[in-house]
Amino acid sequence: MSWSDVVAIAGGLGAGFLSGTIGIGGGLLFVPTMTVGLRLSQAVAQGTSLVAIIPTAIVGGATHIWRRNVLLEPALLMGGGGVFGAVIGALVAVEVPGPWLARIWGGFLVFSAYRLAVQAIRPSQKTP
Amino acid sequence: MGGGFVLVPLQVLWTDTPQRNANANSLVAIVPIAVAALPIYYFRKGSPQIDFHVALFLVIGSVVGAYVGARLLSRIPDRQLKVAVAILLGVAGFKELLFP
Repeated sequence: MSWSDVVAIAGGLGAGFLSGTIGIGGGLLFVPTMTVGLRLSQAVAQGTSLVAIIPTAIVGGATHIWRRNVLLEPALLMGGGGVFGAVIGALVAVEVPGPWLARIWGGFLVFSAYRLAVQAIRPSQKTP
Repeated sequence: MGGGFVLVPLQVLWTDTPQRNANANSLVAIVPIAVAALPIYYFRKGSPQIDFHVALFLVIGSVVGAYVGARLLSRIPDRQLKVAVAILLGVAGFKELLFP
């Protein structure tokens, strides 16, 4: 086992932990682990991340189901909708203006973060 | 990319799902999405770029992390969880806005 394998395990551990607690796939940490930690190209990092996400989400998701954290119906509906979205996205996303797509995406994230923060500060005033 | 980053806030902000359930639901939903996205990615790219050696060692760490994280989730109060999600989304969002 080489030093880079240790880096991969450590990055995977962090990514898996975030995945289990926050509910994200883990790509957020998988990709920089590979690009910054292992100096792999962005393309290889993204492809490899997509593979690594699957067993991570299976283990995390199964643990959540077992611990009764999951509302199964909305989870399955979102999964089905997401599969549909992934296929549509792959079919239509031929040429997208990269930086602008990233900015719109960033704006959505910041807006969501703001709304969640407001909810956390004033839990009584939940939005419908 | 970013399945969880869409699914988690939408559930909490639109359907009033408790944060703990939203995070757990998101991870379960990611499984079929990633399984569907993989062959699409694989066949669309001229030469699939996946390093299976690195993937193996990432997964060795990540399945342990995911198990521990998922077990820990029910012990974190909803409000603190919401703050953590908000910080993570905010950091990722500003990164995309400033360095797209």
